[in-house]
Amino acid sequence: MKHGWIWIIAALLPLQAQAFSGGELMKQSQAAFLYPGKDFKARVVMKLINKDGHERVREMTMLRKNSGETGGNQKYFMYFFQPADVKDMTFMIHKYPAKDDDRWMFIPAISMVKRIAAQDKRSSFVGSDFTYEDVSGRDIEDDNHVIEREEKVGNRDCYVIKSTPKGADSDFGYKFTWVDKANFLPLREAQYDKKGVHYKQFTADEITDIKGVPTAIRRTMKNLQTGHRTEAAYLKTDYDLGIEDSLFSERFLRQPPRKWVE
Amino acid sequence: MFNFSLVEFSIRRPKLVIWATVALVLLFLTQFPGIKTDTNPKNMLPENSEVRVWNDEVDKTFSLYEDTIVVGVQNDTGVLNRETLARIARITDAIVALEGVASRDVNSFTTITNITAEAGTLKVGPLMPGVPRTDAEVETLRSALFDNTLLIDRVISKDGKTTAIYVPLEKGANGAVITEHIREIVAVEQGTERYYIAGDPVARDTFGAEMFKLMGIFSPIAGMIMFIAIQLMFRNLTLSLTMMGVAMAAIILSMGSLIGAGYAVHIMSSMAPVFLMAIATDSIHIFNEFYFRYRERGDKLAAIRETMAAVGRPVRFTALATTAGFAVLLFMNIVPVQVFGGLIAFGTIVLRLFSFSLIPAILTFVKDEKIARAVENESTELDRTSRFLRKLSEIGATRPQAVALTGLALVAIAILGTTQIHVNNNLVAWFKPSSEIRVADSVMNQALGGTSLGYLVVESGDAEFMKQPEAMRWLEGLQRHLETLPVVGKTFSVTDYLKRINRVLHDNDQKFDTVPDTPEMIGQYLFLFSMSAKPADLDNVIDPAFQKTNLWVQLKTWDAEAMRQVIQAADSYQKAHPLEVKVKPAGIAYFNLVWNEEVLGDLVLGLVLALVVVFVILALDFRSAKWALVAYVPLLFTILLIYGVVGFVGKDFDMPLSVMSTLSLGMAVDFSIHFISRFRQRLTETGGGTNKEAVREALLWTAARPGKGILRNALLFAAAFSVMLAAPLTPYMAVGAFIVSMMLLSALFTILYLPALVMLGRNWLFDQPKPTADAAQAHTKGN
Repeated sequence: MKHGWIWIIAALLPLQAQAFSGGELMKQSQAAFLYPGKDFKARVVMKLINKDGHERVREMTMLRKNSGETGGNQKYFMYFFQPADVKDMTFMIHKYPAKDDDRWMFIPAISMVKRIAAQDKRSSFVGSDFTYEDVSGRDIEDDNHVIEREEKVGNRDCYVIKSTPKGADSDFGYKFTWVDKANFLPLREAQYDKKGVHYKQFTADEITDIKGVPTAIRRTMKNLQTGHRTEAAYLKTDYDLGIEDSLFSERFLRQPPRKWVE
Repeated sequence: MFNFSLVEFSIRRPKLVIWATVALVLLFLTQFPGIKTDTNPKNMLPENSEVRVWNDEVDKTFSLYEDTIVVGVQNDTGVLNRETLARIARITDAIVALEGVASRDVNSFTTITNITAEAGTLKVGPLMPGVPRTDAEVETLRSALFDNTLLIDRVISKDGKTTAIYVPLEKGANGAVITEHIREIVAVEQGTERYYIAGDPVARDTFGAEMFKLMGIFSPIAGMIMFIAIQLMFRNLTLSLTMMGVAMAAIILSMGSLIGAGYAVHIMSSMAPVFLMAIATDSIHIFNEFYFRYRERGDKLAAIRETMAAVGRPVRFTALATTAGFAVLLFMNIVPVQVFGGLIAFGTIVLRLFSFSLIPAILTFVKDEKIARAVENESTELDRTSRFLRKLSEIGATRPQAVALTGLALVAIAILGTTQIHVNNNLVAWFKPSSEIRVADSVMNQALGGTSLGYLVVESGDAEFMKQPEAMRWLEGLQRHLETLPVVGKTFSVTDYLKRINRVLHDNDQKFDTVPDTPEMIGQYLFLFSMSAKPADLDNVIDPAFQKTNLWVQLKTWDAEAMRQVIQAADSYQKAHPLEVKVKPAGIAYFNLVWNEEVLGDLVLGLVLALVVVFVILALDFRSAKWALVAYVPLLFTILLIYGVVGFVGKDFDMPLSVMSTLSLGMAVDFSIHFISRFRQRLTETGGGTNKEAVREALLWTAARPGKGILRNALLFAAAFSVMLAAPLTPYMAVGAFIVSMMLLSALFTILYLPALVMLGRNWLFDQPKPTADAAQAHTKGN
């Protein structure tokens, strides 16, 4: 039955999208959102805002380099400016599909690089409402994706895709993603817990073209249960800067080159 | 006079009075389906009370939950084996899926955060993400548990036989339903493990269920017992039914208005039906006198009129005293006590209105021959009870000095006993020791850190202050200091995370099990921790601005006293180690302490108020302060004696008892009012002579005739309340015992000591023929 109406919808779709299944759409979306360019750099300012409006700030430079295809390995490098007492802390992730990440952290106060076990991709990213998965992506293969319907977000036409985890390791029961038909960016995501309660909501608040790449430069993740939200602004975003692979090493964790982090 | 005309009206139009009452009762009965109960101990104090506002603020600042259910799992051969661990994992999974459970913050082996370093890798994550498949994995888990002081006494007992699952509830979740679901979840498991379910919500819901039981089962039983007792005393079904009917009508009107006004039924007001039933027995004096009068006159209507004239004044004043005794509760700070006071005061007024309307109306329908048969034995000369009472008062009247001295000696001993009184409220101790909840609580308190939780919020004027190593060291010192108290089972704060991280980063070297040396280290360690732990882990112990930190203190007892010790210890620590911070207590244990102190304050205030009010009422009634003083003696004597016994026995002086003692003044004085009023009436009736013989004779008559009413009243009262001795909750039992002994003692003291005191103080009391007193008597007669 389900397939029946998907075919009807498919028949009504513009030509270029007709061939997409839910999974393929999500893959397209991941490519547009998390993999554009060979590499990427941004100054990320996160405001962690609680229900009463109190703000805390996390400020960091985020560098990313892809190796290979969409969905393939990625390396992340982060250098923290704020909060003040964590200045000079650096954080590195080697991300592999279908395998646990490798993570390292440099703790300047004791001048020590420590490997950190990446057990839980669903844990909070630097104390914000974003999880590691929200920042660097979740394996497409971990969920079943179904195109539920089409809907407008603002004036943008979107597919609404329902993703349901195959295993039990996730903390959400299912989620809906509103994927822009034109540029495949996720404009909105609604996460439901295992009891079916809508508890987290992602929105891409501002999208702009950088070197021809549509980029979400302001994003918000809101926890509907606690009223806590995180607003992330991606400043000075740039692509294809020619970041060397050697940057993503323990040596540079201790002494990050100024030209990349400033 | 209003009452006179009410009585006249009622015996002229008895049918109208009865039908009007029935209609009124039916009207108020319609309110009953809307009944709500409130068993939340927090509602003892109003929502805007300082401690509740503060506790809410602390909950918010540190993302704490108001309610947590604790599930204990115990296995005599140890919980660290594959089967038990698999069960714990299954149970946790099932609990996490329950509606109303704050799933993300459930803490169990499978979800609690552990910090370790393995092969140079820092690992912050769930202690047991999967069930161990080999014995070697079990051993790894065992060493992980016992290596981490954060986990010992929290999720594992030192002997390894007990673990706990902490289940926080979302705001507004239904604790009773969740508890029931958890019971079903553990019931499915087939092993040798024992399961204990404890925590505030469980206690509350169990309490609520028992409260309904008390109202639904015990009140009717109390009614039946009274009914049988009245039937035995008067052998007239109509009269017994009248008395019960009056009591029921008053209960329905009072409870109906309480429910209709939108108040929830609380522990105190759930006792109201039994109280009203007992207070209704005051109308026994009407029946008592009616029987005597009818026997003397043989004319029913005349007997009713004369009865009402004779007992009208004392009945009105005893009602006034009872009403006042309960009404002073309106000035208390504890909400349910206020409601209860208002409720009973209202009910007492209703009862008295019935005494002057419904009772005379029904008496007109009693068949003459039936009364005649019943009253055959009703004569002071023939009756065994009357003879006994006469003898008893004779002891007082003939040997006043000896009786008075014995009394003084008893008072001295009682005062000694009162110095031993220990004010304490322990909510868990309200359940019997064998009750499921109490067993669960004591098992968990023995095995783990303690079920009662208090917080000490340490607050600085400056943000980031808590990153200072000296602040953290100070906090750690405070923890060690608190842990020297026997009532403290475990303490837990942000320093425990810091020490743990410090050690783990340095290859698990014991040397680094200390607070880090610099603010940067502290900031970076906690940042590192926040990147892997559950948000709540850090939120629970420190605020985002690093200005306030929250020290958890697990107490091994629910005694309010325990938290006082904690606060005192924190004070003395701060004096010895001055630091620019404020330490403020919070949490449920602190709430219980505040509430406990309110009880003590209320007790003193209530007693003073009640003493004054009762004295004023007595003085008004007798138009003489001297007689009021005399009437005061049996009352004070009774109360002192009971307090003395409470002190000697070592029973905690808690909220129900303190309320009882206050309102008991209003009830215990009833007998004195009846005795002295009727005694002085008798004296006037028999010629007003105040020589020794005339006074003595009048005293003995009073003891034998109205005294019989007093005794009957006391016995009925005691019978009604004796039911509460069988109640499943200790406050009800204590109240039952208190009232039973109070009624019997004050009846005894009234009949024994009033004659002695009157004889002793005869010259002082009758020093001159009192024109005012005579006028008062004349007034009463014409009433």
